[in-house]
This record gives sequence, structure tokens and C-alpha cells, in this order.
Amino acid sequence: MSTQTITKSKMWGGGNSPFKVSYGKLMMWIFLLSDAFTFSSLLVGYGAIRYSFPSTPQEQIEGLGLKFGEDVQAKFADGAAAHGEHAEHAEHFIPALREAGVFTELQWPSPDLVFNHFPFAHGLHLPLIFVSLMTLILILSSVTMVLGVEAGQRMDQKGVAKWLFWTIVGGFAFLSCQAWEWTNFITAGATPWANPYGPPTFAALFFLVTGFHGFHVFSGVVLNVITYLNVRKGTYEERGHYEMVEKVGLYWHFVDLVWVFVFTFFYLI
Amino acid sequence: MANANKNIDIHDEENYDPTVWVPKVHSHGTSDIWKRFWILLGLTIVDVAFYFMMAPGMLRNFIFIVLGIVKAWFIVGTFMHMKHEKKSLAMMIILPMILIIFFIYWMLFEGAFWGTFKI
Repeated sequence: MSTQTITKSKMWGGGNSPFKVSYGKLMMWIFLLSDAFTFSSLLVGYGAIRYSFPSTPQEQIEGLGLKFGEDVQAKFADGAAAHGEHAEHAEHFIPALREAGVFTELQWPSPDLVFNHFPFAHGLHLPLIFVSLMTLILILSSVTMVLGVEAGQRMDQKGVAKWLFWTIVGGFAFLSCQAWEWTNFITAGATPWANPYGPPTFAALFFLVTGFHGFHVFSGVVLNVITYLNVRKGTYEERGHYEMVEKVGLYWHFVDLVWVFVFTFFYLI
Repeated sequence: MANANKNIDIHDEENYDPTVWVPKVHSHGTSDIWKRFWILLGLTIVDVAFYFMMAPGMLRNFIFIVLGIVKAWFIVGTFMHMKHEKKSLAMMIILPMILIIFFIYWMLFEGAFWGTFKI
């Protein structure tokens, strides 16, 4: 029997796995495909709404004369100070750009002018640097996850535990970054129905897409913690294989994959 | 390797039991993983470089999207192990996503048309 070649009709006739993967892993792939559809619908909606607004004209951005690393709060403070605002952390950048007609409901804000904050560098113009750091954290945590899967294939319990631990650390680091990013955006006055930087739909889409992604990261961290505890307990050692790490890993890489496109569409374009 | 509880061979294809059956796996080593990590890091740095050194426009957007798809290719292929799976499984997952790319592209034109309704 074992030497018999599996013919095509037998292959799809039941009683075996045509894809040569376990039931659980196949179902994880199908779930991820459906989840990819969900994120695609969000990106389709984002793309369509984005293109129904004109972009911020490049001359307008260049006209501001912003330099990389420059203190934008101080740069625009003069005008606001004349109106009696002296608080050290008062927002001068957004009101000045609203007055200049750069931030208006009629045009899509340039990500350059919206996501230009970095922790402990208040007021400095540092576009894209923080999200690049977040991208690096997520790629690194993806690598530690796949190293954990590789250790599982060698039945190396200690290795799996070690790499899963670092993946969880990476997940928490990413979530913290996102919490900081949201805090910044909300402090500036953005809500799902209001946006000081431009059209309210911009803020609504930002909260919807990054929130949906962040919730996936959070679920991934929860799954990783459960798997980590099971690895330490020896559940998979007893089962004879570490496929659970592989399945959770698929989910974790999917989250990284979605971030690649959120990064591309929200922050780069 | 026999399952301790049920005392059956979980890898046996002749006695296929979907509740426990898993294929035998073997490690492909870590060198490939690290290589892909450096590629992904490099592509992200290229993204950032283009962002700061090139004026915004359709060509720059196109470069970002192509780089995004290349990154996705490496993540799915190596990290998600897709290149070691059967072709039929890979096609089942990848083909629908290729159609989605067209959907996103077409809807951009639809969105631009909505823009003409605004005052």
C-alpha cells in the first residue's frame, strides 16, 4: 500500500490531505484569506475616498519652508503669541497651517505634515521616522517568530520559548508605539468625526484601519502568550509536534503583512 | 513519532485522521530567514530614501506599491513558508489576492469620479 502512487482521483477522493497540510493549518490559511479580504475592503474604501479629494499642492508644502528636524512649534509660535498664547506646549503648528489654508476640509492633508512627531522630540518636524521605527519593530518580531517556528521544527523546546518571548516583547513594543501615535493624533483634536488636519474622513479612516490592524496585533499577542505558556508547560512536546507555533506564526506574519500595506498607503503615499 | 495519548502514528497517510494528522516537518535552517530579514530591512530603507529624495507623484506612488508587493512576496514566501507548500495551496491563496490589486486600482478611478460631484 505504501508504495502505491496516489492518483488524482484518489487525491481528491477523501481520506487524505490533498494539500499535504494539517486540517488546522489549512483552516488558518483560509481564515487569513478571508481576513485579507476584510483588510482589502478597507484599503479599497480608503483608496477611493482618498482620490475623491485633491492632494495638498506641492508648492503649498514647499512654501512653508519646513526643514527636517526643525522646531515647527517655535517656528509658528510668533503669530500665536501675539494672540496671547504663552503655554509652553500650546499647539501653534496646526492653527497656523489652518490659517494658511494648508489644512482645510477641501484637500487631503500631506502625511508629511500630519505624522511628523517623535517621542521626546516635542515640536520637531520628523516626518516618517516614527512609523519607520514601528515597521522595523514589526519586521523584527516577525523574524523572531519565524525563528521560533524553525526551533519547533527541530523540537527545541527552549528555543521556541526564547523566540516566542521576544516576539511577545516586539508585539507589546509595537502596541505601545501605536498607543503613542493615537494619543498624539487625539490630543491634536482628531476624532472619527473631526480632524484639525483636513477632511474628517481622513481621521475616520485612520482610526478605522490602524485600529483594526492594532486589534489584530493585540489578538496576535494574546495568542502568542497562550502558545508561550503551553510551550513552557510542555503541551507540544507531549503532542509530538510544534505545529501550533506555526499556525500562530502564520497569523503573526499576516499582521506584519497588513502593516506593510498600511505603511505604504497611509504614510508613504 | 507516536502520539502519547492515542497511541497512533500522527504522520500516517494510510490511516488519515483529520483531527490529529500532521505532515512530518523538517527545518530549512535559519540562514534563509536572516537573508530575508536584511532584504526587508533594505527595502524599508529604500522606501524611506525615496520618500525624502523624490518629489510626490504617480511614479513615486507606483514605486512604493511595487516595493510593498515585493516585501509581501518575501513575507508570504519565506516567513509564512508558502514556497515550501504545495502549488495548489499557494495558488488558492495568492490568485484571489491578485484580483484584489486590480479592484483597488479600479476603485481609485471611481473615487476620482466622486470628487467631481463636490462643490
